[in-house]
Amino acid sequence: MKILIIEDEKALRDSIKQYLEYQGFICETADNFLKGKEKVSQFAYDCVVVDLGLPYGNGLDIVSAIREMESKAGIIIISARNALDDKLKGLELGSDDYLTKPFHLSELNARINAIVRRRTFDGNKVICFNEIKLEPEARRLTVHDKPVELTEKEYQLLEYFIANQRRVLTKAAIAEHVWGDEYVQAGDYDFIYSHIKNVRKKLLDAGSGDYIKTVYRSGYRMTDN
Amino acid sequence: MVLLLVLAGLYLFGQFSRQINERSDRELMAEEQVWIDYLQTGLENGRVFILKTREVAVYPVNMAVNEVPALEDITEKLQGSQTGFPYRQLSQVVQIGDISYQIILKKSQEQKTILLNNFRRTMLFVLAGLFIVVLIFNWIISRNLWAPFRQSLQKIRDTELSKIHSLQFNQTDTAEFNELNNSLNAMRDKIYGDYINMKEFTENAAHEMQTPIAVVQGKLELLLQDQNLHEAQVQLIADAGAVLNRLARLNKGLLLLAKIENNQYEAAEHLSFTAITEKYLRLFDDLIRAKSLSVETVVENDFNPALHPLLADSLVTNLLGNAIKYNYTGGTIRIVVSKAKYQVSNSSLLDPIPAEKLFRRFNTSKEEDESSNGLGLAIVKKIADSNGLLLDYFVENGIHSFIVRSHG
Repeated sequence: MKILIIEDEKALRDSIKQYLEYQGFICETADNFLKGKEKVSQFAYDCVVVDLGLPYGNGLDIVSAIREMESKAGIIIISARNALDDKLKGLELGSDDYLTKPFHLSELNARINAIVRRRTFDGNKVICFNEIKLEPEARRLTVHDKPVELTEKEYQLLEYFIANQRRVLTKAAIAEHVWGDEYVQAGDYDFIYSHIKNVRKKLLDAGSGDYIKTVYRSGYRMTDN
Repeated sequence: MVLLLVLAGLYLFGQFSRQINERSDRELMAEEQVWIDYLQTGLENGRVFILKTREVAVYPVNMAVNEVPALEDITEKLQGSQTGFPYRQLSQVVQIGDISYQIILKKSQEQKTILLNNFRRTMLFVLAGLFIVVLIFNWIISRNLWAPFRQSLQKIRDTELSKIHSLQFNQTDTAEFNELNNSLNAMRDKIYGDYINMKEFTENAAHEMQTPIAVVQGKLELLLQDQNLHEAQVQLIADAGAVLNRLARLNKGLLLLAKIENNQYEAAEHLSFTAITEKYLRLFDDLIRAKSLSVETVVENDFNPALHPLLADSLVTNLLGNAIKYNYTGGTIRIVVSKAKYQVSNSSLLDPIPAEKLFRRFNTSKEEDESSNGLGLAIVKKIADSNGLLLDYFVENGIHSFIVRSHG
């Protein structure tokens, strides 16, 4: 899977690249509008991450350009502006998603996974992690091909873990992904513990390995080593 | 001015009086001269003259001669009457041949007094009239001439910083006031420019901070992935991350406040607070259950203010979130929705918030927890203020209540 990252802030660009590469994506980068446009016209990417505040041009124009080329790439816009107008405009022009800075890298990763999966037309849209299989279309979990009941939130949790497998996910990132930004106004993140415990129990009961590990004081990780 | 008029009046009166007196005296002296001539004529005939009337007395005396006649004011009473009449009297002893004659001439001052009174009355009348007319003219001129000035003054008094761009000082008929108004207009432009700059600066500053915060969060996230970290290191990274999260949210809050201030969230439609409340009660369900809170929602009617949807969401999540966050385990939350108001009440162990700190920015409760950035209520207040909603707070029996009301 090839990803293009168009972002002018070097530190951020490098961070995104590092994280995505660790997840198995091949990443290329551009630091301004012109280079971004050039790269998009030269290669076929599976997903393009576009920052709106670019030198030499507006990121929205790259979105139009990509769509005009009839490229099959997914597009996710990242921006410091949380403007509804931008979001709507972006969707109108053909982007798939919009993420506001600051964001968790794990969140960006999960969204890219979702976009790439949606745009893959080879019919095989199953997310696997060893014996755990998720079917996103049906929102179904099977362990060793046996179905397991999950609540909507539990499903989203598991999907997030698998998309970011082998990575430490902070409680904040998990809570914001599954429950949204507003949740934090009402309390702290400790409530997610009971949900994760439930998911773990269901998996273990269905015979899977114990993959969801607690990382001391910082979060959780799904890993098989 | 009054003093001037009074002095002028007194001077005029004095002059007039004196003139009359001098005239009068001259007449008396002329009359005396006539008598002296007559007496001298009579002397040649060897006659002695004696006359004593009320007004003329001429008779011989055995007194020394006066060189100069004496003139004085006297008052004489008529026979049988109590009132005294004023007279001007000339008396002199003159030498006619061998005989000294006493001449006493009296002139009634009544006419003169009447004349003087009339004069005094007329003068007073004229001067007073003049005075009043001057006052009236002054008043009229003052009113008309200074009207543009007063207009400008009133506009200045009524000025509000946020509406200053609509302030306009007009052209007048007076050059000096035009000068004033032009300067005021220039000042208005400058103030408005500075004001907009400051508002934009706040918004831009908060906006610019988003990317660096994102970068640091990313780096910490990557750092956390290192398999070779000690527990202590993980702890440090986690703590740093938590505080950074708080900073990120604080920044988002400031940005929201700045944008609301800059009128970027126009009220688009009338929203159903009942629906929004239900949405967030569902979202916060896990938290509510984790704290074993009992929630009661009373819907008498729907509360439908005109608000931008994002602001409505923010208002409800802040109020509901606070009701959950500052509650104790097993506590209660009560939400009342009616046509005129939207009320969120919650039980809490905290003290009532003092009025002067209530909606100030950065006012946090004593607990230093990750989720409180002190902007929640400031945001609620700002949303209310810029959309014509009233916000109240009271505490009763350990229940804290926030009420949102529409105007009127």
